Amino acid sequence: MTQPVTKILVPFKSVPDPYEAAGPDGSGSGAKSVINPFDEIAIEEALRIRERGEASEIVGLTIGAPAVDEQIRAALAMGVDRAIRIDDARALDPYAVARILRAAVEKESPQFVIIGKQAVDDDSNQVGQMLAGLLGWPQATFVSKLEFLDNRTRARCARETDAGLEVIEINLPAVITSDLRLNEPRYVSLPALMKARKKPIEVLTCEQLGVKVDPLTTTIATARPAKRAAGTRVESVEELVIKLKQEAKVV
Amino acid sequence: MDFAWSDQQRELLDAVSRFAREQLDYEVIENDRQAIFNHEAWKKCGEFGIQGLLVPAEYGGLGQDPLTTVAVLERLGYACKDNGLLFSINAHMWTAVTPLVYNGTEAQKKKFLPGLCNGDLIGGNAMSEPNSGSDAFSLGTTATKQGDKYVLNGSKIFVTNGPVADVLVVFANVDKARGQDGITAFLVEKGMAGFDPSHKIEKMGVRTSPMAEVFFENCEVPAENLLGKEGGGAFLFTRSMTWERGCILASAVGAMQRLLEKCIRYANERKQGGQSIGKYQLVASKIVDMKLRVESARHMLYHYGWVAGHRKAVYLEAAMTKLHLADAWMKCAEDAIQIHGGYGYMTEYEVERELRDAIGAKLYSGTSEIQRNIIASLIGL
Repeated sequence: MTQPVTKILVPFKSVPDPYEAAGPDGSGSGAKSVINPFDEIAIEEALRIRERGEASEIVGLTIGAPAVDEQIRAALAMGVDRAIRIDDARALDPYAVARILRAAVEKESPQFVIIGKQAVDDDSNQVGQMLAGLLGWPQATFVSKLEFLDNRTRARCARETDAGLEVIEINLPAVITSDLRLNEPRYVSLPALMKARKKPIEVLTCEQLGVKVDPLTTTIATARPAKRAAGTRVESVEELVIKLKQEAKVV
Repeated sequence: MDFAWSDQQRELLDAVSRFAREQLDYEVIENDRQAIFNHEAWKKCGEFGIQGLLVPAEYGGLGQDPLTTVAVLERLGYACKDNGLLFSINAHMWTAVTPLVYNGTEAQKKKFLPGLCNGDLIGGNAMSEPNSGSDAFSLGTTATKQGDKYVLNGSKIFVTNGPVADVLVVFANVDKARGQDGITAFLVEKGMAGFDPSHKIEKMGVRTSPMAEVFFENCEVPAENLLGKEGGGAFLFTRSMTWERGCILASAVGAMQRLLEKCIRYANERKQGGQSIGKYQLVASKIVDMKLRVESARHMLYHYGWVAGHRKAVYLEAAMTKLHLADAWMKCAEDAIQIHGGYGYMTEYEVERELRDAIGAKLYSGTSEIQRNIIASLIGL
């Protein structure tokens, strides 16, 4: 099993572009999508690993309808060698995604999977962990620094935790999830974007991967957060203390 | 006419918006004050693909059409507050790159275009002279052929990119007796003996774009640096100016959109007499006029871009676009100051600079009066 890293799989997700919120003059449709920023960091890390000569191929993978080809091309333009789209337009929950990714890992046999720690649209933060669990691979999450050891059969990872920077070593193959501070992704140049149109996108279905996924969760409703109610003005410190005690019940 | 973007154009324009937002939205106040050219941003734009937008792929460019090109430049203008950098890029694209694409020999294209596209080289042209401005073809700089070289003598003023240029398209007359038919273009390279571009000129706006007065004193230019043919300079210059007129204010349309949004934000935030100033009809009306100006300017620009990609003669559209966009930008910048009141007059609020940057648009690439003359003659007057 200890085969040095040569192929890296980078799964990524399309999310609504945070910069496309409606502008003050009504511009911005909110309909544009981008690669999930944490996944973009994962892609960048894979590219840097390849550029250091520590991997020879990077395969990008995403799940979605043909519309996500735009984000696939952005990944190809960044430098991903080839890409796979799992043709499934449903809103899948993390466990379904992890099961599809397990099937993709079994098909592609990468020695290393790197993925964003969470998607900025649903903030689940589960796919990387579940994938490692399903594969029986070690995992290092929230990684902000990564280096390979022992002829690329082990990795040393710095993890961003509440307690501070934790450094761990894991055996490969493994799943890594990227933190914001892992790197700063490169921008896609126009020549690269045009060349990316010539790189192949392989389209597969869940059936072809031999995996049947049905969501375990159902979204009941989505609503905007309630607007903050106006505050009240108090006359004295005494009144404030009484209100804090009796109304807010916080002291 | 069809301005609907293809998937490919949309992806390209999205990439441009993001590049501009992340790489070009830097602070400009100090650079403007000290007239500093941002060479690093120039290089980034080159690597990203801006300078080579219209250049065929075989010479290092992207081979895009004029409509896509102006839309790209518009997006740069929206995110990048450094109007001077964009002015320098425009001068480079329309007065050095485009003439090389049209009139360069294979050897000249191979030598200069890849570097001019990827940001390694900076270009520009030298046409105006102290005594020859709007009457451009009366220029006094001479080029005398001596064996396999030309010897240039004279001086040029208002040379955009002059102090930093690696190559300039210089117009000189090979035979004054031939008048306009003697005007010839030469590729003058940095470091050539007798070529002095070191005299910087201070100016009111687009101060981050370097400008020089340049001198030629027995400057020897090898015959292989003749651009086009002897006497072909006037036509080459006219074509270059037509491109420039049509495209140079594309970024201004983006700048106007930025100003409009800034004014809307300010008018909503600023409260006087118990309400947002945007609720006062006199203020709202100004902003509505800005909106109309931005939209009409954008339509005019895209129309020019579309026409330029579909037929050859675009003199009329180019002149009208230049004239209209220059006026619209000026008025938007002026109104933006008025809406911001006293604050708008202060450097920190970054609208006064916009007015200083905009004024030049009524002067370069032919004054607004010259554009009107061109339009008048082309509509039968």
